[in-house]
Amino acid sequence: MLDKYTCLEKLAKKRTDEVVVTTMSVAMPWARHSDGPLDFAHVESAMGHAADFALGLAIAQPDRRVLCINGDGSTLMSLGVLVTLAQRPAANLTLVITENGTYEVTGSQPVPGADFINYEQLCRGAGLQRVYAIDNDEDFDAKLDQHFSAEGPVVFIWKIAKAQEPVPKPSKPIRERAHRLRETLTSSA
Amino acid sequence: MLSADKIIAALEKRGVTHLVGVPDNGSRALYEKLWSHDEIEVILTSREGEAYSLASGLFLGGAHPLVLIQNTGFFEAGDAFRGTAYNMGIPLVMLVGYRGYKTMEPDAPRVDSAATFFEPTLKAWNIPYTAMHGDGDIGQIDDAFAKAEETSLPTAVLIIPETV
Repeated sequence: MLDKYTCLEKLAKKRTDEVVVTTMSVAMPWARHSDGPLDFAHVESAMGHAADFALGLAIAQPDRRVLCINGDGSTLMSLGVLVTLAQRPAANLTLVITENGTYEVTGSQPVPGADFINYEQLCRGAGLQRVYAIDNDEDFDAKLDQHFSAEGPVVFIWKIAKAQEPVPKPSKPIRERAHRLRETLTSSA
Repeated sequence: MLSADKIIAALEKRGVTHLVGVPDNGSRALYEKLWSHDEIEVILTSREGEAYSLASGLFLGGAHPLVLIQNTGFFEAGDAFRGTAYNMGIPLVMLVGYRGYKTMEPDAPRVDSAATFFEPTLKAWNIPYTAMHGDGDIGQIDDAFAKAEETSLPTAVLIIPETV
């Protein structure tokens, strides 16, 4: 089992100029590492729609890597997105699904199917070909660089330990964060 | 009937780069003519909510997307619309097919609830909109872009007859 906080720390140390989209129980732990214009907490938004949002960014910014760190509960809310990612592949898109079977920010209730769902099979069945499930530190370290370099769409499923996070509260309103992201991406194009 | 070619010309004039959505019978001709378009890429989504979030990402990345869906999908997309395009302040123009419009005529044998709920929902969600009944209304698309840019919020243009 992976520790989410350790994984995020390792990812943050390797990260350079990639866009990082985070959701729910990852948003604030990631913000403790980085909360700049290229960090977008998909919070105060629409749960289940971070991956499709990240796909839009990736298509519009083909020369820049976009990472989306999503949850399992968020993934379940819009499973069709997995097909959309395969239907319109973006070579610069990395999707992480953090899987621990719970809705962390609402009190760790179990997500539907927590005991039997297989996200790797779901992704492959949706047409995504590069899918890696990781459940130990050794494999995580071996795959870390690929989060930034593998041809997308690539999916990493982090099998993480259960944890509890409060409801995320980003440092700025979503509209301000969104337009700051756009200004950064378009001014450096 | 609405001319798909004239609608496409309106989109070209505004520099639309991506058309995102789910086809319906009313938009069929528009989708078919755009499959092979050199400058406007069609991106199909599995459900309409995705269209709003994907288009929002496209816009923030510097592209100029447009959403094309039916009113039934608009209802489904409520939270995605609210949480992405609306909350993020995206000047997004959406073309929305008006399923059931004719069923609201007085002598219609039955009323399609997709029609009766549609405009009240647009109003409840504070979405400015106009409706295209024929080719003479296609200029509304240009007006919608101006309105969206002025407010930095989504704006809708409703497609009433089928596109051809």
